[in-house]
Amino acid sequence: MDNSFLHSKKLLLVDDEPELLKMVSAILADEGFSHLVTAANMKEGLAAAKAEKPDLAILDVCLPDGDGFSLMEQIRAWTDIPVIFLTARDEAADKLAGLGLGADDYIAKPFLPQEFLLRVYAVLRRCYKKDTAVLKLDHCTVDFSRAEVDKGGEILPLTAMEHKLLETLARNEGRIVTVDTLCEALWGDNPFGYENSLNAHVRRVREKIEADPSKPVSLLTVKGLGYKLLARK
Amino acid sequence: MKAFGKYISKYLLSFFAFALVLLLVNILAFALTFGGIVSREYGAASPANMLEAVAADLSASGISEERSQELTRNQIWAMLLDASGRCIWEASLPEEIPTQYTIQDVAVFSKGYLQDYPVFVRNMDNGLLVLGYPKDSFMKLTGNYFPIRAIRVFPLFVTGILAIDIVLLFLVYYFSKRKIAKNTEPIMASIKTLSTGKPVDLSIRGELSEIADSVNQASQVLSRQNQARANWISGVSHDIRTPLSMIMGYAQRIAGDHGASGNIQQEAEIIRAQSAKIKDLVQDLNLVSQLEYEMQPLHKEPVRLSKLLRSYAADLLNAGIGGKHSVEVEISSEAETAVIDCDARLISRAIGNLVQNSINHNPQGCHISLSLDCISENVSITVADNGVGLSAEKLRELEEKPHYMESTDERLDLRHGLGLLLVQQIVEAHDGGFQIENTATQGCKVSLKFPFSL
Repeated sequence: MDNSFLHSKKLLLVDDEPELLKMVSAILADEGFSHLVTAANMKEGLAAAKAEKPDLAILDVCLPDGDGFSLMEQIRAWTDIPVIFLTARDEAADKLAGLGLGADDYIAKPFLPQEFLLRVYAVLRRCYKKDTAVLKLDHCTVDFSRAEVDKGGEILPLTAMEHKLLETLARNEGRIVTVDTLCEALWGDNPFGYENSLNAHVRRVREKIEADPSKPVSLLTVKGLGYKLLARK
Repeated sequence: MKAFGKYISKYLLSFFAFALVLLLVNILAFALTFGGIVSREYGAASPANMLEAVAADLSASGISEERSQELTRNQIWAMLLDASGRCIWEASLPEEIPTQYTIQDVAVFSKGYLQDYPVFVRNMDNGLLVLGYPKDSFMKLTGNYFPIRAIRVFPLFVTGILAIDIVLLFLVYYFSKRKIAKNTEPIMASIKTLSTGKPVDLSIRGELSEIADSVNQASQVLSRQNQARANWISGVSHDIRTPLSMIMGYAQRIAGDHGASGNIQQEAEIIRAQSAKIKDLVQDLNLVSQLEYEMQPLHKEPVRLSKLLRSYAADLLNAGIGGKHSVEVEISSEAETAVIDCDARLISRAIGNLVQNSINHNPQGCHISLSLDCISENVSITVADNGVGLSAEKLRELEEKPHYMESTDERLDLRHGLGLLLVQQIVEAHDGGFQIENTATQGCKVSLKFPFSL
């Protein structure tokens, strides 16, 4: 999945452990993120958030002059940027407090660099969609803003449901999306017994995006779990 | 109260023995007290004896000097009335006693007193012998008759009174014992609860309240110790996390650094892999201790297990598990809509630990199958692989040996590894069951069973 369009985002890191800041910065820099701002406490963090206007804040819960939750509340008072918590506490109560306040994710230490990057990308992708809402697949191009599929010059319109289905899969491009998540996206919370309808929609989408709908190469079935959309390499 | 009936019947015999002893003691006390008086008052100076002695001694010249002295010694006076009621002989007769009596006088005093002197009479050939004892030495029953029916029922009456007494005594004994048992039973129950390590709060009034207070204090001490132990583990695991993040982060950077030599990259990869093990251990350790000491409340809510299982498997596959392992999910049609009340995070964690075990024990690769089924009243989640499986010895060890987290002695052959212990605790916290077996073909199969909640 191509995430390079996110590398221009400015990231704010707040942690009282300078060594950890250094390492996380290095991991992010290796990955290609070039705009990184660090702060060691709540005061510096708040000042940096105001001065630098970051696109994502990664906050430690335990800070020497306060806790990350109140720092998030203060930042959220004037901007709506996504926030990820990074903390050595893993109690469920902390997690709920973090997400209840509107945090976008919560990463418990210790973490593996790939896991950390995956979470950062996921949050960034959710909040900052690709400017051009066009997805290139093996046999066609999907234009989400016009709800159209361009299959070798032939323009095929997408229904609202097909659009939602493709969009949900495209947001998790290259990853398995469970039937439950898809049904929720299409029919709202607690959808029971929509599996057959989902199959029907998938079949119609395949007719529009695949060269041979019976041998799909872009919209793949993952047996027992759900579906996966692959972009053109 | 169930034990109380047994308790009372056990002590019934001793109660009756006690009642018998009480009766004997009463009889003995009665005999000792009245024995002296009876033997004295009914001895040589008793009215019956004295009347006989005086009657035998009495002649025309009166009584002998010896008998006269005996009368004086006992402060007894005597007189003999002839048929016309005239006193024809007397000894030590007080002045106030008349010497002439009518037949009415005789009828009245013979039953009772003469001028307050208790008197006793004896019919003789030559008249009526009257002995007067000192005032207040005897009580005479002037109405000395009893209906024969009363005399007949008397033995029955005594037996009845005794029986009623014993019943009353038994009731007093029963209720006092029951009161004690009623108060001691919650104490016994609390001590039993305490012995399992769970906190108790007793409230008892009355004479046993001190014991209840002590039990409560012991419970508090236990709770504080558990809290301290859980806090200690939580603190250590907290402090390990940040340094471990850095070890893992840098090890991975070195492992992926193309400037470093192959050897160094390999060694860094080992450090990374081992750190990941410590990471799992630290996370499990904290959770195990929180569950063990019940420090963490469960966030139970209705969860559709099919959704949870698919979501877990999708996350696992999306994160990438390497080319050697494959994962498949099978959900039976009746289990598709199965919902149980559970903490979704913990159930995912239990499944995750089992899958991780399969991956760790089969580095050469294996196929892992996650399935969800409804078996009678239970929902069963099964994690099975086609890998090397468990040796019979290892299986026995898992079943028999206690884990070091649960053991209080210092045996050396304790089970280690926290993964399965955590699974076990999570399953127990959800009132479920847990079974490990080798599959018929090859590999290992672990089933978690949870009761349905509707």
